[in-house]
Amino acid sequence: MKHKVWKRTAAMILILLLVWGGLTGCSGSNQEGTGNEAAVKSAEEPNTEGNSGERAMGRFLEEEIETDIAFGNIFDIKKLSDGTLRLIGFNADDGTRGAWDSKDQGASWEKVYDFPEEIQDSDQGYTDRGALSADGRAVCVFNQIEEGVGIKPKLYLLDQNGGGTPIAFELAGSGGENAQEKMIMGVNFLGNDQLLVKSETDKVYQISVEDGSVKHTYEFDGTADTHQVYTAGKKMIVFTSTEALVYDTETGEQLSPEETLQQGLAEAGLFHSLDSLDEGESVYCLSGGGLYHYKFGGSVMEQLIDGKMNSMGAPAFYPITLTMLDEENLLVAANDSNSNSPTGIALLKYTYSADTPAKPDKELKAYSLYDNREMRQSISRFQKEHTDVYVNYQSAMSEENGMNVSDALKTLTTEIMAGKGPDLMILDGMPVEAYMEKGILKDLSSLIGEEGSYFENILHAYQDEQGQLCAVPARFMIPMIQAGSAFYTPGEDFDAFTGRKDALAKMEPKPVVEKFWYTCGAAWKKSDGTLDAAKITEFLTKLKNAYGDYDSSLDEAETGVAMAMDGNTEEIGKLSFGYGDFDLAFGRTNVNIGLCAKLDYGMMTAVNKRLEQGDYGLMPGQVEHVFVPAMIMGINSKGNQTELAEAFIKYLFSQDSQKISQSGGFPVEKEAFRSVIDGHQYAGQDNLVCVGGTDLDETLDYEMTPTPEEEIKKFTELVESLTTPAIRDDVIKEAVSEQGEKVLKGEISPQEATDAIMQKVNIYLAE
Amino acid sequence: MRKPFQRRSARHTETAGKHKSFRGFLWIVPSFLGVLVFYLLPYADVVRRSFLGAVDNHFAGIENYRAVLENTAFLLAVKNTLRFTVFCIPLLILIALLCAVVLYRSKYGGIIKSAFLMPMALPAVSVALMWRLLFHSQGMVNGWLINLNLQGSDWMNSGSAFWILVGSYIWKNLGYDIVLWMAGLAGISENIYEAARVDGAGEWQCFWKITLPNLKTSFYTITVLSFLNSFKVFREAYLVAGDYPHESIYMMQHLFNNWFRNFSFDKMAAAAVLESLVLLALILLFQRTLDKE
Repeated sequence: MKHKVWKRTAAMILILLLVWGGLTGCSGSNQEGTGNEAAVKSAEEPNTEGNSGERAMGRFLEEEIETDIAFGNIFDIKKLSDGTLRLIGFNADDGTRGAWDSKDQGASWEKVYDFPEEIQDSDQGYTDRGALSADGRAVCVFNQIEEGVGIKPKLYLLDQNGGGTPIAFELAGSGGENAQEKMIMGVNFLGNDQLLVKSETDKVYQISVEDGSVKHTYEFDGTADTHQVYTAGKKMIVFTSTEALVYDTETGEQLSPEETLQQGLAEAGLFHSLDSLDEGESVYCLSGGGLYHYKFGGSVMEQLIDGKMNSMGAPAFYPITLTMLDEENLLVAANDSNSNSPTGIALLKYTYSADTPAKPDKELKAYSLYDNREMRQSISRFQKEHTDVYVNYQSAMSEENGMNVSDALKTLTTEIMAGKGPDLMILDGMPVEAYMEKGILKDLSSLIGEEGSYFENILHAYQDEQGQLCAVPARFMIPMIQAGSAFYTPGEDFDAFTGRKDALAKMEPKPVVEKFWYTCGAAWKKSDGTLDAAKITEFLTKLKNAYGDYDSSLDEAETGVAMAMDGNTEEIGKLSFGYGDFDLAFGRTNVNIGLCAKLDYGMMTAVNKRLEQGDYGLMPGQVEHVFVPAMIMGINSKGNQTELAEAFIKYLFSQDSQKISQSGGFPVEKEAFRSVIDGHQYAGQDNLVCVGGTDLDETLDYEMTPTPEEEIKKFTELVESLTTPAIRDDVIKEAVSEQGEKVLKGEISPQEATDAIMQKVNIYLAE
Repeated sequence: MRKPFQRRSARHTETAGKHKSFRGFLWIVPSFLGVLVFYLLPYADVVRRSFLGAVDNHFAGIENYRAVLENTAFLLAVKNTLRFTVFCIPLLILIALLCAVVLYRSKYGGIIKSAFLMPMALPAVSVALMWRLLFHSQGMVNGWLINLNLQGSDWMNSGSAFWILVGSYIWKNLGYDIVLWMAGLAGISENIYEAARVDGAGEWQCFWKITLPNLKTSFYTITVLSFLNSFKVFREAYLVAGDYPHESIYMMQHLFNNWFRNFSFDKMAAAAVLESLVLLALILLFQRTLDKE
């Protein structure tokens, strides 16, 4: 009996343990890469509250330095041995190249010298690269233009006061039309006496500064797409997108692989800049993921700055140089078209603040199906102003996860209903009407700024009967057409346009159908919510008339493009207005149609010049004055950070955020709209552009100038005339484009296609 | 002196009996708890939700049921699911029985039986990929037909899609049903056959009078399992043709899937309750019919 009791007790304990084990196994606590497994120690790690309950403090804060000098380019910045910061670059105001010093950690800069006259820009050549040594000397790459030879790069050594002497070094295969290595693609100081010079073929020459003699030559197998070369003490570090190679420059031999650095590269992404504070014992590396510190031979690569919390992770941020001032201060020069700098060259200072929490107190979850560059850029700016907020932005569809829209939406539904959904959503590609109807989205009408400053016609695209704005487009695209007078007359309707046989000839059928779906789809919806079959048949019939016979050689071209581009890029690219301008200019197509998301006035004018009475206007359709809402914003009514989401929405519709332009659509705020189309950035500059197509003989030359006032007016009036939002329903679009393609290829009749579309779409609409 | 003892004994037996029944209850408690937590309570929640709004949970009365019964997509899905079941289940059961009887008598039945099980081991994604390769408008079947100077077809976007799905279901589940039938056949004593043969019964009479009646229990199990497995064919249909396939293969699961994506939990719950009631009624009816026989 006694034994039985023990047995039962033991059995009960075991059962309880099993149940407990099972439940904790399901608890979802997901601690990846703990202990020694993780090569990269996250910048967020220290903030996790320890047993003491104390909050981890300390974070690098970003500040954009506004200088008096409008740097048009920065070649290098170096901290000299006396603590002074020296910068070499290009002054966009006066067009000179020179060196500047700063005694106050980059806050202000004073000119030290101009580059010698012979290496300033002129008809004889131009300087496009340079590097500084710790003793204040500089080396510049002057690309000399020689008659009959072409470009011949020359190295110039500048002493501390700007006195220049040429370095007797020539690339092995340079000079002449058939030269293998025409250009110098990178130059770095190795100590104060040697240089590392990277050629066009990624061959690296280790040369003496004094006489240009080559000490070592490093060659790579050519399988990697890029080789970024840096120096740290006596080491040369080469990053490819997949490998980190370290060389001893004394012997020229490759050192044993640094596996942690390699793993860090895989996790952080390609490093764009590197610096060292201790003669190469350890390095600071900069990538889109942030700033990382690695001590050679170590087992951990420490993330000091998380790129997601500042500009470093922004899509338009391309670092030029990283300068470590000390362990708690650093400067980054970057090419950032969305910075406050008029030239797009930003100088950013990062300072460690011990009083700031390591991780922001509040987390705002943002979600979209497709990655949105404007969103990333806005997040970067918003976080700069709100250091206590971390915006965790996830886009569901990526090349890595292979997820489709349907799966992504189902996952989103589960998360929202479980109370773990995003606070903020970009609704592009989502069933917006269904979400509004089900009460998933919060009314945003009180959040948008004062009336009159926005294009109200666009803003109210999703206004419901009660006047609520649960989904608001922050941007929009315009279906546009450009053609010569033989195939398009400005202002003509769909019937007149499609009445011309072969107007759409030689274009890829599927994108043609998709583009016209935007300008016609809205006409098909009947009041009871079903589709009008007669209108669809009419649409396909007229489109087929304008398309003419299918040219089967397009099949091969289509395959080629598909192989060269990934799925999503291909999809978006083919629909854009800029995709077909070259084909139109060189007569391969009769018209250019597409969704215009940014005004490239110079290009548009250049194309028009090649056409007979070329002009542009709104794309004809069964509905007139159509626009395509983009970056449609919504707040999850079941979210946890509704107030924060509202603050972010307010920011998104502010002029500051609206002025961000990454080709994702025009801003709905009028002033911002003007600023993205007026080409103000080209004012006072002499920007002659030569654009080449796939055929090397086809080039378009044009000048990038500010858009003329009358063009701005014409374009603004065009936007103000837009009244009808295009239907952004992927299910209907997919059905129409699939069947429409078959019609244009002549495989089925318009009536058969309509039947197939109706069959599929009716089920969808009935649901 | 014996009476008190006898009384005690009787009382003891009574208590022991109670204990026994209580102990029996204890044995089923774990599984009952599992059923309660994972089936009955969620089902009760579904029933509750079927009377509420989709997200805001306001009381909607029978509005959801009305909406579902008037929904043409729901009616189409019900029609297709029933049509699929009516064609597939009898076909599968009969073909499987035929194969089982033949294999049971064959010397190599065991090995061949394993071969029939192979489709079950194949991942649904691979199977779907194979169907796509075969039945795409520019797929292998059309290629073969063109080689034979015959007209091809867009198989998955026409009425043929239904028959492809029927074929897919039978191909995949045949092995499983064969194994079940063979297990049933193995349970019939050989003595009965010998006795019947001694009495002059032929093969057909043996099959009709002995084999079939003895397979009644297996028949019930196989029918119910095949019926439930028929719902799994959605995986292949979804992987081959996506959310909106040809209308002939638009099944209940397509509808549930799409409703879930659009937060239509109200309609989903009402449709699920209706479906469960119909299924329960069918299974009970089937069981009762068999019991009567």
